[in-house]
Amino acid sequence: MALGELERDVMDRLWAAGEPLTVREVHEQLAAHRKIAYTTVMTVLDRLAKKHVVRQEREGRAFRYTPVASREQMVAELMLDALGGVPSVDDRQAALVHFIGGVSPAEAAALREALDAVAPDRGNSTSPA
Amino acid sequence: MTAVWFAALALLLAGPVPALLARARWTWQVPRAALVLWQAIALGAVLATLGAGLASLSLLVTEEPGFPFLERHGPVQTTLIGLGSALVAVVTVRFWVVATFVGVRTRRRRNRHRDLVDLLHRNESLSQVNAALLSGTGVRVLAGPGRVAYCVPGVRSRVVVSDAMLASLTPEEVRAVLAHERAHLRARHDLVLEGFTALHAAFPRVVSSQAALDSVRLLVEMLADDAARRRAGTQPLARALVALAGSGDPGQEMPVGSAALARVRRLAARPPRRGLSALTYAAAAVVLGGPTLAIAVPWLQASYRALAH
Repeated sequence: MALGELERDVMDRLWAAGEPLTVREVHEQLAAHRKIAYTTVMTVLDRLAKKHVVRQEREGRAFRYTPVASREQMVAELMLDALGGVPSVDDRQAALVHFIGGVSPAEAAALREALDAVAPDRGNSTSPA
Repeated sequence: MTAVWFAALALLLAGPVPALLARARWTWQVPRAALVLWQAIALGAVLATLGAGLASLSLLVTEEPGFPFLERHGPVQTTLIGLGSALVAVVTVRFWVVATFVGVRTRRRRNRHRDLVDLLHRNESLSQVNAALLSGTGVRVLAGPGRVAYCVPGVRSRVVVSDAMLASLTPEEVRAVLAHERAHLRARHDLVLEGFTALHAAFPRVVSSQAALDSVRLLVEMLADDAARRRAGTQPLARALVALAGSGDPGQEMPVGSAALARVRRLAARPPRRGLSALTYAAAAVVLGGPTLAIAVPWLQASYRALAH
């Protein structure tokens, strides 16, 4: 199984648990469904911690892992980052390329008018130039 | 004298020329050629600046012992030439430092974003229709409140759409959106955008870098629109643009609305005249070739003379 899918699976377990889990606990859950090495789970949790999506806290001799935010919060944060649209930020980097930015209601109305001017099939068929 | 000519050319290509070109509407008919022209102007301005610096330096430093220029022309002119050279050096260093920062920041945000998309995307909630449409590699679906469609460019690129967006479009319209985003990724439009973003970040005032960045952004979208209409048809693309343009959060006004309108109106316009594209490419060749020849020819002549001795 690809490492990416495994990371997603581990995150789902951590979110579902609702409390910090040790590597052993995550491994036990995953091993119930498939063959997987303890060290692999350790690697995945370490990678997730490096990506700052899980927090690592020491408890006695073991580490416990917990997601930094709920799934919904993280999706919302991602969408906000995607919607961005902060010109001062976007003028200093070119990270994402959008299909379209947001517009005001007045412009949306003008857009619908402009749409009526786009004749059917032009661009598809060979219209005389 | 060469230094003055180069300085004048650099100022022209950095100020009035981009300001004028940004106001032009004919560029929308030939986005690819227009993008080449924009890049030629930017590169031409950089080359002319370098040329001005090198030419004035060569005035000061010659093979004769001492400072012959100072003895011949006096302290005022020498100081002016010296200041000019220093300015060119500052401009050059500033651009490369800022460009590096822009590159690092862009890649950091992009990697972070892609990591999160890969972790948080949903592939179980898709309907049959959507699953068939999105079977292409690198398309990710987010389940969330916003209607978004965008791409994360780079080596491990992703096209990201939200299920709210999928739900508000017909399959043909989704096809158009995906074709548009894939065109961005395939042609590495992000590299063009990054160059002009760096230029604007390095020189936000004085030169017309904001106008250049805005124009290039719009032209890149139009270029991807052209690719999308070839693959998915003009009408689905236009409908998708209108449907998604209205989805902006009303509390958060973004100054790109007129761009959406321009893109839809353009889809209804007639195809461009053939000669326009060729003319634009020719203009780009002149802008870039002129200064380059002016630098290269004297240098080659000087080298030739030096070798002949």
